[in-house]
Amino acid sequence: MLTQMKVRGLMFDPYNNAYIVLLREEDQGEMLPIWVGKSEASAISFALEGIAAPRPMTHDLMKSLLDSVEAKVISVVVTDLVENTYYAKIHLMHEDSEFSIDSRPSDAIALALRTSTPIFAQEEVLRKQASEELDHWLENLKPEDFGKYES
Amino acid sequence: MEHTELADLVKLKVHGVLPDPNTETQIVILKDEQHADILPIWVGTAEGTAIKMAMEGIPTPRPMSHDLIRSFADHLNIKILRVVVTDVKNNTYYAAVHLVARGEERTVDSRPSDAIALALRTNSPIYVTQDVLKRRGGGNLDALLEKLGTKNLGKYEV
Repeated sequence: MLTQMKVRGLMFDPYNNAYIVLLREEDQGEMLPIWVGKSEASAISFALEGIAAPRPMTHDLMKSLLDSVEAKVISVVVTDLVENTYYAKIHLMHEDSEFSIDSRPSDAIALALRTSTPIFAQEEVLRKQASEELDHWLENLKPEDFGKYES
Repeated sequence: MEHTELADLVKLKVHGVLPDPNTETQIVILKDEQHADILPIWVGTAEGTAIKMAMEGIPTPRPMSHDLIRSFADHLNIKILRVVVTDVKNNTYYAAVHLVARGEERTVDSRPSDAIALALRTNSPIYVTQDVLKRRGGGNLDALLEKLGTKNLGKYEV
């Protein structure tokens, strides 16, 4: 089973010196925080804020390449969580064939935001990450940390 | 750029990626085949890493961004013909990726760092226009290269 997710926010995690992309179930249910590096976070942030970079960024190039053959991104799915590492797949449609391509969630999300593609998570991934430690951590976040990209 | 003839292009090899001691950036050192001309391009840390990983052929557990681009190209029968550093304005370089898709040649705009990272993963040649090579930044290039030393460059010598 797949659950549709929205990018709810992007924030800095000073403890791990990394960024967190926060995905949340559409009906404000389960949250899925995904830790990403600085450049991945910036790729997502550009798309969230609709900033056009003076030169195409990596995921803009990715989109141009797909556009050049009229390949369409149908969906991206966070498929697995193994030892704190998330895995994802990008589903493409090209000339009546469907392709499913392995990706990191950060690339998948950065591309999804640029192509207005829905983001999904496997329900099993949502179950796996729901640890007490995480809940505790999320409780300590201030509400304003979430506000910025509220939809 | 589409009108640039191949004759106006100089083929380059990636000679190495070095940390710039003065900033938090990295320098991709490109050299022509006779090692007569050097084109240094400043890139971010992530971009430098993407290029270094391709040079060293280090496999990663998950595909990195440029592995994903290559994967798209493989699945969609897009052939990367070459990448070209096409322009430099205010010390910012511009590039184009030349590809064949569905029997037609196309060019896609890119940053040089992405173009190089992709070229190394698809065994595509890297070129610069004669014009960019002439206008390449910095009279203090020699001083910089001297400062960086040639020892560091040895690591990725090709």
